[in-house]
Formats: sequence, C-alpha cells, structure tokens
Amino acid sequence: MKASTELKMSNHELIRCPICEAVNLDKIGEIKCRRCGELIYKHKDVSFNRTLAFLMTAIILYFPANFYPILITKKLGVTQENTILGGIMVLWEAGSYPVAIIILLASVFVPILKFIFIIYLLISTEYNVKSSKIDKYKLFYITESVGSWSMVDVFVVTILSVLIHFSAIQIVPGAGATAFALMVFFTMLSALSFDTRLIKR
Amino acid sequence: MKKHKLDNLIICKRCHTLHKKIKLHRNTKALCKHCGSVIYRNHHNIIETTLALSISAIIALMVAFSFTIMTININGIYQELNLTALFVVIFEQHFYLMGIMLGFLIFLFPLAILVSIILLLTLMHFRRSGYLVKRLLILTAKLLPWSMIDIFFISILVSMVKLFDYAQIEIGVAFVAFILLLVLDIIINKQMRFNELWRYYESIYGVKNEQS
Repeated sequence: MKASTELKMSNHELIRCPICEAVNLDKIGEIKCRRCGELIYKHKDVSFNRTLAFLMTAIILYFPANFYPILITKKLGVTQENTILGGIMVLWEAGSYPVAIIILLASVFVPILKFIFIIYLLISTEYNVKSSKIDKYKLFYITESVGSWSMVDVFVVTILSVLIHFSAIQIVPGAGATAFALMVFFTMLSALSFDTRLIKR
Repeated sequence: MKKHKLDNLIICKRCHTLHKKIKLHRNTKALCKHCGSVIYRNHHNIIETTLALSISAIIALMVAFSFTIMTININGIYQELNLTALFVVIFEQHFYLMGIMLGFLIFLFPLAILVSIILLLTLMHFRRSGYLVKRLLILTAKLLPWSMIDIFFISILVSMVKLFDYAQIEIGVAFVAFILLLVLDIIINKQMRFNELWRYYESIYGVKNEQS
C-alpha cells in the first residue's frame, strides 16, 4: 500500500539521525539528536578529512593485499603461494565458474567500486558537480551496504587453513590476508564517517 | 518548526526523500515515493514477535558456535571445523591481528547485538529502566553494520565448493543451526525498524525535554 505523502518542502534544513532515524533541524556546527542525544555529526570539514584519511589508508593497503600471497600451500615441503587474482585463476581453470565469479566480484570489484564511489562523492561535494542529489544518496547507500562483502575471501582462507591442517599438506593464510582484512575495515570506517550533509552542499 | 511537528516527518533511508507520516491500517506498510523501499510499517506486536525471534536466534547462535560445522575426510584422515578450532589454528600460526578481527566480527559483535536486542525488548515489554533501553538502542544501531555472520556463512559455502574435488564433506549440526540463524537474522532485520522502536520508546517512557 502506497501511503506516505511526499512533501514539497525542501529538506535543506532537515537531517536524519543515523542512529535513531529521527528528523532533526540542520544547524551549522555540531548537532545533537533531539531523540537519542547522540552527536549526529561534527563539523563538516572534519568529516570530509576523516573520510579522506580512512580512504587513503585503505587504498594504500589495497596494494599489499593484492601483491602479497593470501594463501600459502605447503605440500610435502613444497610451498606454493597464491595471490587473490591467482586464486581466482586457479578456480576458473578448475571449472568452478560461479565461485570464481563470486570471489572476483567480492574481493576485486567491490573494493575498487567503493574507492571510486567515495572519491566521486568527495569530489562532487567539493567542486559542486551537477548531478542529482538523490542519485548521490543512493550511491552512498550502496557503498554502505555492499562494503563488508569483500571479507568473503579472508574468511574462506581462514576456514581452509583450519580444515587443511595435516602434516603432509597444509594451508596457511599469507600476509595478504591481513592486509586485505585491514583494507576492508578501513573502507567501512571511511563510509561510516562520511557525512550525508556534505551531499546537500 | 516545533518538535511535535518534526515527529510527523520521516526521511527515507535510501534516497533521503522527506515524507510526511500518515496513520496506517493494521499490518500495512508505507513505501517511499521515490525509490519504493519500505519506510515504516504498522506492526501491532513488534516487541513481542521480535523478542521471540531473537531468543530463538540466540539459541541457534549458541548451537552454531559450539558444535561442528563440517567434517572433511581425505583418504581416511578426518578434520573438523568448529569455531574454537578456527581461533586456535589462527593464533597458532601467529596471525594475531586477524584472529582478533575475526573474533570481533563473527563472534563478539553478533552475540552482543542479539543479547542487547533481547535485553532491550524485555525491558520495553516490562516497561522498566528507560535509560538502559536508550543506551542499548544506540549501541545496537552502532554495532549493526559490523556483524559479518552472513558473510561468514557464504564463505563456508565457498570453501565447501573449493574442497569438493579433494575431500568428502560431512555436514555437522552447527551448519543447520547457521542456516536457521541466518533466516532468523534476516527476518529480525526486516521487521525491526529503529524508527518504530524509538517511537515505542517515547510512548512507553515519555519524552524528556532535553533540547537546548
């Protein structure tokens, strides 16, 4: 049932609390939510810089995450190291296409897409790019909700290292796994610290 | 604009369109005019249903965390996967940072979320201690994006597919419990809207005038 009525009033002076979803009046500077009492956002520039800092950390971590091995297989004394892309290639050649596509999407495309989305949002708030605000809000929503799915590869590596844990053959997570997990962590922090008020500007 | 007037407004989560709230019929929902996502719904016993669902979810979670998820069999050698073995192996291999991260993401945060949901709904049901309910509501909202139990389950499936060629896989009790937990988690997340819980909170404990 479509029941709600859209208001024609501009939502310039109103803001949604991210914790309790109450509608608040938008003021300059710090706002405390009228319902839950939590600080909604600090100053806009603080949010901008913090998002940028977390994003840069994540981008820096992206390189070791991809160049260092994420999976080390020790088979009768012979060590074989696999990076993320290498692991996907092995899966593709073995014929398990759906899994290869899932991992390709989750651990290669999702982080890059998140970088591009956040950079676009930051640039468009700074230089006033002409595009629809609703699209930007949707873009931000996608960025927020899709972020944690990149952890799939890290979890798979740890599960495999528990299961393949024999004296003859052993799977060990590599340094790339830690870097990757940290990268996902920082992209999530970056998305969380992005102030939606920046879009309105 | 006055305070009570702001309460009649609601902003869509996805596209930030401003809407005016209207009274809904029983068991109907209001959709966003722009993107079509559900904004709020009329649910006559949201506290009791969500409480029941989250209690069964926490039972499923305890089963999923304490029993075997799966056993693999490679040429007669057996190896079990359960959550304790996972952490033991990771710390044995000196991946401390990852072990701590995993411990928070797949164990502590999901547990904390479910415990605080159960606690706050029980308190709301008995109309006790408003301050604690408020803190718990804020805590749950903050923790919610950090629970990765669903992603962990997908990873279990992916690693099963990877091992399919080399080993025989036996599914354990915890695997079934994981499926149950996931289904319950999706239903709880779909049903429990923070906006409505806060509205109930205000109607139960009364609104304090804290605004400066």
